[in-house]
Amino acid sequence: MELTDDMLMAYADGELAPAQRARVEAAMRDDPGVAAAVERHRALRADVFAAFAGVLDEPVPERLRPAPAAPVRIDALAAAGARPLPARWRWGQAGALAAALVLGVAVGALGWRGQARDAGAIAARAGEAVVAQGVLAQALSTRLAADAAGGAGPVRIGVSFAARDGTYCRSFQLGATGGLACRVDGQWRIPVLAAGTLDGGAGGDGYRQAGSALPAAVLEAIDARIAGAALDAAAERAARDRDWRPAKR
Amino acid sequence: MLEHDIAALLPRLRRFARSITFHREDADDLVQVAVERALSRQAQWEAGTRLDSWMFRIVKNAWIDEVRARARASRLFVPEEEGVHVGDDQAQAQQQRMAIEKAVSLLSEEHRLVVGLVLVDGLPYKEAAEVLEIPMGTLTSRLARARAALQDLLADGTRST
Repeated sequence: MELTDDMLMAYADGELAPAQRARVEAAMRDDPGVAAAVERHRALRADVFAAFAGVLDEPVPERLRPAPAAPVRIDALAAAGARPLPARWRWGQAGALAAALVLGVAVGALGWRGQARDAGAIAARAGEAVVAQGVLAQALSTRLAADAAGGAGPVRIGVSFAARDGTYCRSFQLGATGGLACRVDGQWRIPVLAAGTLDGGAGGDGYRQAGSALPAAVLEAIDARIAGAALDAAAERAARDRDWRPAKR
Repeated sequence: MLEHDIAALLPRLRRFARSITFHREDADDLVQVAVERALSRQAQWEAGTRLDSWMFRIVKNAWIDEVRARARASRLFVPEEEGVHVGDDQAQAQQQRMAIEKAVSLLSEEHRLVVGLVLVDGLPYKEAAEVLEIPMGTLTSRLARARAALQDLLADGTRST
């Protein structure tokens, strides 16, 4: 019986039973044309596999994670009561839920409880990250620093800048709590959140001046990420109008 | 925990989705829809059967009856890849990879699905046939045609560059 090309393909794919495999191998020894056909099937398979293999190494976007982000409700936070804020709060030490609690208490402390309850969650856990939701996410996505002074709502936007990895980050304040949020995969991730004082730090140039009321930990986080200078008003508006997608480089 | 097992499959599901729909965002939308469907239909999964085959089937169905319609219309466009301007040593491998991705994107949908399952993911024929809900004979003939089409597309690409 003659070997069909489908059999050679199945051989290259490792799908043949031992008896058929032996026949194909014998034919490959006898006929260079058969060997070449098998090799073509093998090479194509290897090339196609290799072309897509890199996807396995990509970080999986948080939005695909099956465990739904557990939103933290402001009213539940209010029930937990105000607790002293550590001077410096990072996720490694505190955990995402605690971070959301800090945000919730900060909102509550500002007397925004009513509005905040309507707005629902302002931060949620997504895997290892904390992402902004509700009024916080909305302010981060839509407000410009120039609006902030007279803007309504508990959130004040500070400086906006492009980070070295190309994402946009913005500092924000909720009462005495300051934080940094960076736009990753269509969400505002909050890498750092810290209690601070409203009376401002040492004045300086550029974003330090603009963000002078930010806690030191947030300023450090900005220092660690910022590529170049903070965005000016026009650049900030342009970035917002692009929905904070990284600029083409 | 099914959630945990599905999470472990996410890299493979994303890779399969990328072979069906060329654009990264569309592929991730597809995986997201599939994961949501899977979680809402947990009861339909029979413990002891292959979770990967079940998930691939959900991805395939989600593509056909939902995501395909709202995926980017310009499917023939090869998106600009980041990192195209790499050093010479990597440039050739990169070009080869992009040529293959483009060729796969130009296959018919039927052929993309079978290539995605057998060549990209490496599923055995039997499992691939189950995912596609077709007989083995159909699977092998479809795979053979998809390979031939792919060879032709790659040969054309080589000639034109």
